[in-house]
Amino acid sequence: MTDDPYSDRVRELFADLAHAGDLVDAPRVRADDQGLRIELSATCDDGVLETLRFRAWGCPHVLAAAESFCRDYEGRPCPDLLDFRAADLMQTLPVPTEKLGRILVLEDAVRSLGQSVRHDPTGETE
Amino acid sequence: MSAPADIVYLDYAATTPVDARVVDTMSQLFAVEGDFGNPSSGHLAGRRSGARVEQATAQLAKLLGCRESELVWTSGATESDNLAIAGAARYRADRGRHLITMPTEHKAVTDMFSVLEREGFEVTWLQPDEFGLVAMDDLEAAIREDTQLVSIMHVNNETGVIQDIEAIGSICRRHDVLFHVDAAQSVGKLPLDLASMPIDLLSTTAHKLYGPKGVGALYIADRPGCHVQPLIHGGGQQRALRPGTLAVPLIAGFGHAAEIAGARMQDDLAHLRALRDRLWDGIRDVEGILRNGSEDAGFPGILNVSVEDVEGESLLLSLEPLCVATGSACNSKDREPSSILRALGRSDELAQSAVRFSVGRPTTTADVDLAADLYRSAVQSLRELAPRRTA
Repeated sequence: MTDDPYSDRVRELFADLAHAGDLVDAPRVRADDQGLRIELSATCDDGVLETLRFRAWGCPHVLAAAESFCRDYEGRPCPDLLDFRAADLMQTLPVPTEKLGRILVLEDAVRSLGQSVRHDPTGETE
Repeated sequence: MSAPADIVYLDYAATTPVDARVVDTMSQLFAVEGDFGNPSSGHLAGRRSGARVEQATAQLAKLLGCRESELVWTSGATESDNLAIAGAARYRADRGRHLITMPTEHKAVTDMFSVLEREGFEVTWLQPDEFGLVAMDDLEAAIREDTQLVSIMHVNNETGVIQDIEAIGSICRRHDVLFHVDAAQSVGKLPLDLASMPIDLLSTTAHKLYGPKGVGALYIADRPGCHVQPLIHGGGQQRALRPGTLAVPLIAGFGHAAEIAGARMQDDLAHLRALRDRLWDGIRDVEGILRNGSEDAGFPGILNVSVEDVEGESLLLSLEPLCVATGSACNSKDREPSSILRALGRSDELAQSAVRFSVGRPTTTADVDLAADLYRSAVQSLRELAPRRTA
């Protein structure tokens, strides 16, 4: 059989985009580049990421990556957003190298969200 | 004949399953107890195999309405297209080196024309109208003193639009220009009578009409000036136009598939039309949906649609277990927007969201109803999770 362009992990995430949809009323950011659009939002409680949500227009790898990020980062310290690395998702999902640019757009959005959380009083991080 | 339970196959323009009767015919031609001989051999085993080839040639000639001597067996439509275009252009190169085609042709055609351009031939690429049709005035205006060949397909593999090949051929005949038709999508599905049609070269393949993959044919009209230079050499079979040992089981399968297709063509057409119309009725009110190709001049087995504000790759994955195409199957892995749809004026985003549904003999109303439900649901879901556009 010809190689499936999507790993089991990507298929599982794409089939259950539980964190996609309505953004929470909290710090949010938007990225619009590489032919894709991503919006992220976060709420924090006592310096910990409580709720992450996303909206995205993009290929299955981007949607799966956004969902994976939300699942992985809820419950982690807010400053971790600033250290988010696209390279990790490229390997764990995995994502084909030709889509690196798109995943870097997600990385930019996540780090920008980290900055917003740091500076937004409702983020309750500092 | 039904598809495996875990898929709903709506990609019959890419390929079809082999009819069980055709499988039976072919299975008699492989093993020692069957007619396995080389048809070029003069002994009894060879002559028996040769008879199977002759039978298949007669079956395909009957379907096409041509003489048996006007057919050459190939490995498929790609080879037939290559042989027709390069073979005719090179054969007539001393008369002129101008050729005409369209950017909406199959890659087997456009890539061959690009090769010829690099060899020094001049190619005019006629632009289609918004439905994919060629304007006869444009064609007439493009023909020059040194024009030798026009190649325009019958049914477009992506949109299903049907070109008026009789009118095109008539223009070519008036100017003594050869006319080649890629008919991979139409042979066995639409009536053809080559004896009365102004067509000089016609390419076809078995696997689009419930025959095996790996075999095709090229029709070369028996008329003055209509000839091709061979692409491969050695052996002298088929008047040296396409040498090599004939693939008897595949050819016999093609012949039988052609016979079946001819016998049930009208029933097949009615079946396909009913299913395609039912599918279109099921999705036509989706907001932002656009039908690619022509409703009036469209092949009944193909429905190609684009939709606004939906990412094509995610749409395709959301449609599983539907097996559909995002354009030509040959292109579907690279995810580049379809050059055919771009030529029709679709934006990159709309071209990338295109889905080609193609129905076939085994398709049921339940299949197309499921396809419509999945499509509507997928479009809605993907839109719900997309950010709004910025101004």
